[in-house]
Amino acid sequence: MIIARGRTLKTEARVFTGSMADIIFLLIIFFVITYKVEVDKTKMELPDTAVRVAIPESDKPAWISVASRSEGYLIRVSTGEEMSLPIGTDEELVTFASTEVARDPEKDFIIKADQEVPYERFDAVLDALKQSKVKNIYLLSDQKTVE
Amino acid sequence: MKFTKKKLDSEIFTGSMADITFLLIIFFMLTMAFSSNRGMDFALPEDTTSAPEISQEESVDVLVLPGPVAGPPVIQVDGRSMPINQLLPYVADKLKQNPRKPVILRTDPGAVYGNMIAVFDELRQAETKVGIKIETISIPTQREIENIWTMLGIGP
Repeated sequence: MIIARGRTLKTEARVFTGSMADIIFLLIIFFVITYKVEVDKTKMELPDTAVRVAIPESDKPAWISVASRSEGYLIRVSTGEEMSLPIGTDEELVTFASTEVARDPEKDFIIKADQEVPYERFDAVLDALKQSKVKNIYLLSDQKTVE
Repeated sequence: MKFTKKKLDSEIFTGSMADITFLLIIFFMLTMAFSSNRGMDFALPEDTTSAPEISQEESVDVLVLPGPVAGPPVIQVDGRSMPINQLLPYVADKLKQNPRKPVILRTDPGAVYGNMIAVFDELRQAETKVGIKIETISIPTQREIENIWTMLGIGP
């Protein structure tokens, strides 16, 4: 009887990667569904409030942002579908808001303003929206923390 | 002589799939906005062409004066200076007599947006803090205030 000595069974060290494609595709589908383009990327210090409601974004609200002092309180507007663009005068703001309301009378407007913006600038924006018969506006804010 | 047919494996090369999919994942992770937008909702009156029917006598008049952005806002309620923590008890007392009494929130043009928001936020918390809901909080614009003054024949 011959006994083969010194022969070891070779086992390949492999990590099973068969399900990796499934996991990756699941992640891609998740990101594609939850993907949301930020229409206004103006960096600013928002005011803090305790009352905060979720802004319904299914109907793509229009955006009006009033930048901080360092940017000269520049006003940018967006229809909610395209990236925001700067505007020069209050009349242009009225024209923009009126056009959006004419297109959709129930259109919501989001005002994103820096907390140090002079009230005069905000008042001009609010006045333009009132003149354009806007029904609902949302004042973007950060969460106020308990002191 | 026996010929053996060479078997060709029909296989799609998937070696680079992982690179492409990871690239896509990284792109979506970097560009997506995680936080949902939140803020304070504010309904505007339906028609602003006519003068508002609210008169100062039958409402609570809150005037926001210029003050520090970070600190407590400086306010005048019905012409009297008042600390912000006394605003809601005062308004609640007024609303007990007439629950439909509106609150007019005016802001001095010299104040900053954050001052007004701080007072508006305080008024919106009336239900949780003092148990009375303020039905109407009106934020008139400077043009509307001037129109009212002109109509009443008084100066600011």
